[in-house]
Formats: sequence, structure tokens, C-alpha cells
Amino acid sequence: MIGRLLFALGLGVACLTALAHDLHHEVSQGQAVVIRLSYADATPFAFEAYEIYPKDEKLPVQVGRTDARGRIVFLPERAGAWRIKAFSEDGHGLDFALTTDAAGIVASDQPLYERYGRIVVGVALILGLFGFISLYLKRKKP
Amino acid sequence: MHIPDGFLSPQTYLPAYAPAAGLWWLAARRLRRTLDADTLPWLAAATALAFVLMMLALPLPGGSTVHAAGIALLAVNFGVWTAFLAVSLVLAMQALLFGAGGVTALAVNALAMGFLGSIAAWLAWRGLRIVNEALALFLAGWVSVVVPALVIAIILGIQPLIAHDAAGRPLFFPFGLSITLPAVMLPHILVGLGEGLLTWLGTTTLKRLQARHAA
Repeated sequence: MIGRLLFALGLGVACLTALAHDLHHEVSQGQAVVIRLSYADATPFAFEAYEIYPKDEKLPVQVGRTDARGRIVFLPERAGAWRIKAFSEDGHGLDFALTTDAAGIVASDQPLYERYGRIVVGVALILGLFGFISLYLKRKKP
Repeated sequence: MHIPDGFLSPQTYLPAYAPAAGLWWLAARRLRRTLDADTLPWLAAATALAFVLMMLALPLPGGSTVHAAGIALLAVNFGVWTAFLAVSLVLAMQALLFGAGGVTALAVNALAMGFLGSIAAWLAWRGLRIVNEALALFLAGWVSVVVPALVIAIILGIQPLIAHDAAGRPLFFPFGLSITLPAVMLPHILVGLGEGLLTWLGTTTLKRLQARHAA
């Protein structure tokens, strides 16, 4: 009788141990921030490494690789600022920050200019700067 | 090609500002002596072209992108010091105004691309122009891309050795030399061919325009 009880107890313990190795999955829906990384010509920054850190902290809360469309899906657990680093082996990458509210909504992440607008502004600044140097050289001449 | 912010450790980018500042000062002094009002519009146009070239990314098979730079065009036509300042100006504008490249990495990028790229281009052009001017211009363009790419690949690749935590995990750029050297060099060896053509075409066009303007 005692032997049977010990056997049943041992079996129970073995079952509990087996349960400890079982993995479960749960599917739910939530508010996620989707960050899409791409090169200037809109080619996705696909399957490249990224890390997400709470601002001013050294341990990442999420690491991984972008998907085929260059996306990072991130579910912030709280409102705050986050630092996102993404990098490829050939030295391309980004290191930028974004702020989310408690619902995971990005506060504001709009670039000031579109890319081609930026190029025009840059060229104008360079030509303007050289214009000033030209005026300076003319003033220097007797 | 240029390194973005966050990829380099402070042990790398802070010391780089010392030689860069010295070279900027030397270059500015030299430019002040040599620059004249006739050269200035051409230099302005070439610098603006370099800025545009660096902002236009060309897609590569495999998902990466590259860009031309116009460094050899500047070095061959205006000299190493002027090219160094012009490329530094372009890099600074990209970093400060547009977030391309990096403010912390500016000195490293300027030294690799602006200084070493210009010297390599100028030496290749001077050494080979006796053989053939077109070949000299083409190779000047090629080395102006390949030499900075090699330097940048090495700087990126040694980051895991320079800056890592107690467990040995890299704190900045995570890939070592065995990865960065082929990953950075191979595309730039190809891009250098385009840069070589650009240098040859750009220089012959510039010379023709200057001759027409002077006549």
C-alpha cells in the first residue's frame, strides 16, 4: 500500500516537472508602434538588427531583426521616451528617439523636411555660404 | 559611407576631433591664402554637387544602398586642403541640419572621407597623369571611395574591441572586422568604378567650362 502511494506521489511530481517544461502561447491584440526603416530610395532595411532601450537606460527592452518590409513592431509598456538603434553589417543604421504616451501612441515623429526638400535647402545653404565668402574676398580686394 | 551617430564609442570619436581640428585650421589658413574670386563659383558648384551626390542613395542588390561623393573631383581640381574643407562642410551640413551621418562621428567621417579620400585621389591622379590623364582621373575617383571605405570598415570593426561591457557585449557597433571589412569594402569597390567615371567626366566638363568662361 505504501509502495503504491509512493509510486503515485512520484508520478505526480514527475508530471509537475514535465509541466514546467511546457510552453504556452496566448494570442491577444494591443496597441503597437510600428517603425518602418528604409533607405532613401524606399528599399526596406530588411532583416537587420535593432535594439530598443528606455531612454537613458543601458539594458534593452527589445532586440531583434526587422521584418522583410523593414518594420519593427514595438509595444511600449508605459509612457516615455525610447531609444531605437538599428544597424547593418556594412555600417548603415539609425540611432533615434521617440516618445510614446500611456496608450503607446507616438507623440510626434515627423521629419521637418522631406528628403528632396532637404537637398534643395542644403544646396541653397552651400551656395549662400560661398556667396558670402565671395563678398568677403571682393571687400578684401583694394 | 559615412558613420551615423551612436555607432562609435567616445574613445574613438572624441580623440578624432583633435587631429581634425588641427587639419581644419591648417586647411582654412591655406585656403585663405590661395582662394580667389575666380575659383570660388566653381568651388561652390563642385561642393554643392558633392552634397547632392552624398544625399542621393543608389540601391544595391541585397537591400543596401551606396552613394557617390565627388571627393576626387574636388581634390583633383581644387587641391587636397580645399577638398578636405569642402567635404567637411558637406558632412557638417548633413549631420547638423539633416541628421544624415552624425555629429559625434563628424571628425572621423571628415578625416576618413575628406582628408584621406582627398589625399588618395590626389596622389593617384598626380602619379598616373603622366601615363594617361583619363586613367589617372578614373583611378583617382576609385581610390577616393575605396580608401575611406577601408578606414571606416576598420573603425567600425574595432568598436567591439574598444567598447564592451563586463560580459564582453559590444556597447556600440556590434560587428567585428571579419564582418565589416567585406560588408563595407565589396560594395564600395564597385561604387568606386562609378566614382571613377564621375571624376573623369566631371573634371573634363569642368575644365571645358572653365576654358569657355575664360575665353
